[in-house]
Amino acid sequence: MSILEVRGLTHSYSGNTPFVNDAVSNVSFSIEKGEIIGIIGHTGSGKSTLVQHLNGLLKPTEGTVLLENEDIWKSPKEIRKIRSKVGLVFQYPEYQLFEETVYADIAFGPKNMGLEGEELENRIEEICKIVGVKPEYLEKSPFDLSGGEKRRVAIAGVLAMRPEVIVFDEPTAGLDPRGREDVMQIIKDYRKAYDATVIIISHSMEDMAQTVDKILVMNKGKIEMFGSVNEVFSKGEKLLEIGLNVPVVTKVFSKLKSMGIPVNPDVFTVEAAIKELERLREGDKNA
Amino acid sequence: MLRDITFGQYYQAKSPIHSADPRIKMILMIIFIVFIFLSSNMFALLFSFVSVALVIAVSKVPIKLYLKNMKAILPILIFTAIINLFYGDGSTVLVEFWKLSITTEGVFKAIFMATRIMLLIFISSVLTYTTTPNDLTDAIESLLSPLRFLGLKNAVHTLAMMMTIALRFIPTLIEEAEKIMNAQKARGADLESGGIIERVKALIPILIPLLISSVRRAYELAEAMECRCYNGGEGKTRMKQMKLKMLDLYLSVITVLMLLGVILINIIL
Repeated sequence: MSILEVRGLTHSYSGNTPFVNDAVSNVSFSIEKGEIIGIIGHTGSGKSTLVQHLNGLLKPTEGTVLLENEDIWKSPKEIRKIRSKVGLVFQYPEYQLFEETVYADIAFGPKNMGLEGEELENRIEEICKIVGVKPEYLEKSPFDLSGGEKRRVAIAGVLAMRPEVIVFDEPTAGLDPRGREDVMQIIKDYRKAYDATVIIISHSMEDMAQTVDKILVMNKGKIEMFGSVNEVFSKGEKLLEIGLNVPVVTKVFSKLKSMGIPVNPDVFTVEAAIKELERLREGDKNA
Repeated sequence: MLRDITFGQYYQAKSPIHSADPRIKMILMIIFIVFIFLSSNMFALLFSFVSVALVIAVSKVPIKLYLKNMKAILPILIFTAIINLFYGDGSTVLVEFWKLSITTEGVFKAIFMATRIMLLIFISSVLTYTTTPNDLTDAIESLLSPLRFLGLKNAVHTLAMMMTIALRFIPTLIEEAEKIMNAQKARGADLESGGIIERVKALIPILIPLLISSVRRAYELAEAMECRCYNGGEGKTRMKQMKLKMLDLYLSVITVLMLLGVILINIIL
């Protein structure tokens, strides 16, 4: 059963001005429970507008968003409940920190859901373990933390609501390689712990190849492709055409192939590349 | 929602008023305000009305926009009119109740004051609709420059720079506020319901991040400006030099004639 389904979604900004343009036009897709979906697309392709419909921050101009087969806008007054079921971590989430202590900031979301007392404390303790916020940090001011730590706290603030579907809008933007790895690990750990469905927007093709099951490619407000990592990255030319790219290793392997070396060019991660090269070496020995 | 806030109401069009020097426009607006206040009888006010209407027609800005501005101050207009209604010291009483009475002079005065305020709003709207905010601050800086003889040389430039920066960052801040609002809404913040106190409280999660990012932005901007050797107004030249043209002379002459017209009508009638 699909957990999230989007049907014929269209969104146009500013109906009053002569500059009406559809940020997203007639988009339909569905996501199965537990999947990790990556969304790629160049700047202004409608990715961010699309994901803001998934938790009801934006209301579709046309079309519907179904969460567990129910229209999320069925009762507009209940939209806040949807927001605790579909979490959204915005770009640079650390800029939304505002409380005096890390604890209070993480508690903001769960409190808005009506949690309190022991339940609230347990939940925060649990999420801190997953996200890697040390207990001694909880009483600190979030503004005294380093950039990477702030990002963790901000992500924890959304994950503490324990959403079933969680959307990350460029979660690794502006982080160093170590920070990027940590954030990607948090996403994987959260998914494992709660059997959550994950959607990641990213410009890093490497992160995509390593983490996600399926990739949705957006171009000019429309879905260009939606398929497995293999399917999408094997159409490298099409991706380049719309201003995107394939992972660097994939480029290296297509080049090797075109130089006449008998490799399989559909290699998307470093691990797969190592395997492929080893296979090649074994083959040489056997020959 | 926040996007609807208009600031700097500049309306792009090609008209003599648009292309006039912003400094001259400011001075002429002051002259207009003076003669609107000088109009002491109905005929003088009518003359002012026609003059302002003429300027509006020449400005090529849709009259709808002017009326929109008027809507915002409608409460003040009505309030002033009602107060004046009771302050006419004439003898022909129209309505009387308790200690209050409305006389024909009162009605006359109410209409007079309301028209006066209306004209003031119209003429200042002409300035803001036909001049970009940046031109306005440049004009202010230039007009205040005589203050340097009072030893306030840097103050004038600093003030103008502050205004320019403030104007420049309004759209940026609106965008930022929208982003933060969305982020907090995604965390279940409730901004739409509850009483006044709850609503004010609900603003805290938005205002604090906004304030912090503004301070951060200010530091970054200051650093960027220093990197480009900004050191105040001394020796700074402009990309767009303001130069007086024949057009400015014509507009000035017409305005002064209008002023003389009002004074004459005041004396004769």
